[in-house]
Amino acid sequence: MKVVILGAGISGHTAALLLKKNLSKDHEVIVVSPNSHWNWIPSNIWVGVGKMTQKDVTFDLKQVYDRKKIKFHQARALTLFPEGRESSAKPFVEIEYTHPSMQGTRAQIEYDYLINATGPRLNFAATPGLGPEAFTHSVCTSEHAQECYSALNSLIQEMKKGKKATLVVGTGHGTCTCEGAAFEYVFNLDFLLRAEGVREQANIVFLTNEAELGDFGVGGMLLSEGGYQIPGSHFAMSLFAERNVNWVLGSHVRKISETQIEYEDLSGGIFTLDYDFAMLLPPFTGVPLKAFDRENKEITQDLFSAAGFMKVDADYQAKDYSEWSPRDWPQTYQTQFKNIFAIGIAFAPPHQISKPLKNPNGTLIAPAPPRTGMPSAVMGRTVAASIVSMIKNKTDIPSRRASMAEMGAACIASAGADLFRGTAASITMFPIVPDYKKYPKSGRDLKYTTGEIGLAGHWIKTLLHYAFIYKAKAYPLWWLIPE
Amino acid sequence: MSLHSAEKEKVFLPGRGRLFLRTFLPWQILRFFLINLKMSQMILKSHGSENKKSDM
Repeated sequence: MKVVILGAGISGHTAALLLKKNLSKDHEVIVVSPNSHWNWIPSNIWVGVGKMTQKDVTFDLKQVYDRKKIKFHQARALTLFPEGRESSAKPFVEIEYTHPSMQGTRAQIEYDYLINATGPRLNFAATPGLGPEAFTHSVCTSEHAQECYSALNSLIQEMKKGKKATLVVGTGHGTCTCEGAAFEYVFNLDFLLRAEGVREQANIVFLTNEAELGDFGVGGMLLSEGGYQIPGSHFAMSLFAERNVNWVLGSHVRKISETQIEYEDLSGGIFTLDYDFAMLLPPFTGVPLKAFDRENKEITQDLFSAAGFMKVDADYQAKDYSEWSPRDWPQTYQTQFKNIFAIGIAFAPPHQISKPLKNPNGTLIAPAPPRTGMPSAVMGRTVAASIVSMIKNKTDIPSRRASMAEMGAACIASAGADLFRGTAASITMFPIVPDYKKYPKSGRDLKYTTGEIGLAGHWIKTLLHYAFIYKAKAYPLWWLIPE
Repeated sequence: MSLHSAEKEKVFLPGRGRLFLRTFLPWQILRFFLINLKMSQMILKSHGSENKKSDM
């Protein structure tokens, strides 16, 4: 059997390594990715403040895949033919090489099983002026993060000569996700400016689409503290006040110029913010894959949502927030084609987790649900195990499931990197998608929904950096490190 | 303007003791192990389960 994985990020790479480990040599594992390097994305924020370099957070994929005898095509996927073509019933994916030696050349890769782990398309175009090609910076890729630090460092040098500056960090559109990454970046930025002796000259503004601080796209959380149950937003606000970081909530950025950000908020008001440096995350769409049936009729809209994410075994019926249910969320990540799965950011969520809000202008301001990091890797593991079982047992029923409504997450949000002075917020939540029937008070199990800030969190984040790169390089006993 | 000023917002701030403990090595070494334990419990609960619809 041939198992093809599109994408070599956290979920796709996890799936590829586990498939190769657990399938016999009779079967082939093939990875298609436009990137030549794997990137431990959680550490990109440290590249963005100069604590690490691009080299520290990436490694060459081909070396690992050659060692593990996984066939690797450095290419982007263009089109799926899940029913094959009239000339051949075997399903295949059309790819276009990005490797310099074969740039632009197209090929067809047949498969028996396909995993779509293509991750996000960074949709900077959604907001005029957003992105490294325009006026703002990003930490979504290691290249962007390196460039971000370069610009930041230039500004710091000017600040050392007396310049006062406004630095804006947050989300560049009302429907962004990854607010946690923006949270990490703003506090690492604060930490860096203090270390450089220029913090007093900086006005730092956190510009977020979250309705309250600490929402993180998961509707916030209730935490137990000193016998009380306290909203996580109180702790988040406390950190912002402690570090003198100002904030704007419920924002949708309309446009950005070289010196000004224009945004609207939940009140419907339209505001401007002059700035000197901005790191604003883009909204995501799925990568632009198309699909055709056996008669060459386009079926893209059957397989993908309007935003380009792949539909899986979720309940996509449009419903009001009050009718949302944990059972809306997918379990096996299998699509309508029994041999195709979508995992990580590539799968289409049924809806948000946080309550979506619209302002009086009709603008949707709604954090998209995060599905990165640990959940993403767990999906990779789950689908790999299902495919192994399906091959061994000659069935089209997946053997494993991992719904975000039955899965927890452990997140470490850095608030400053230093071996003895750094801190990070260590957060656990269970489940990711709240279940108010099972946990009426807060939607989550308070025994496993916790948060604290301290140096230990920084050590853990550092440990995770080295551990997950070791695991991703498939060094000895890599598979012992859990997702 | 919709800007919230960190200086003016009425929020509770951690006391000196809490701030001290954040980087106090002996306490943080203990917290390192306890947080790892909590995260391990989370990981064990979250590695997926058998799909009950499976015929295997």
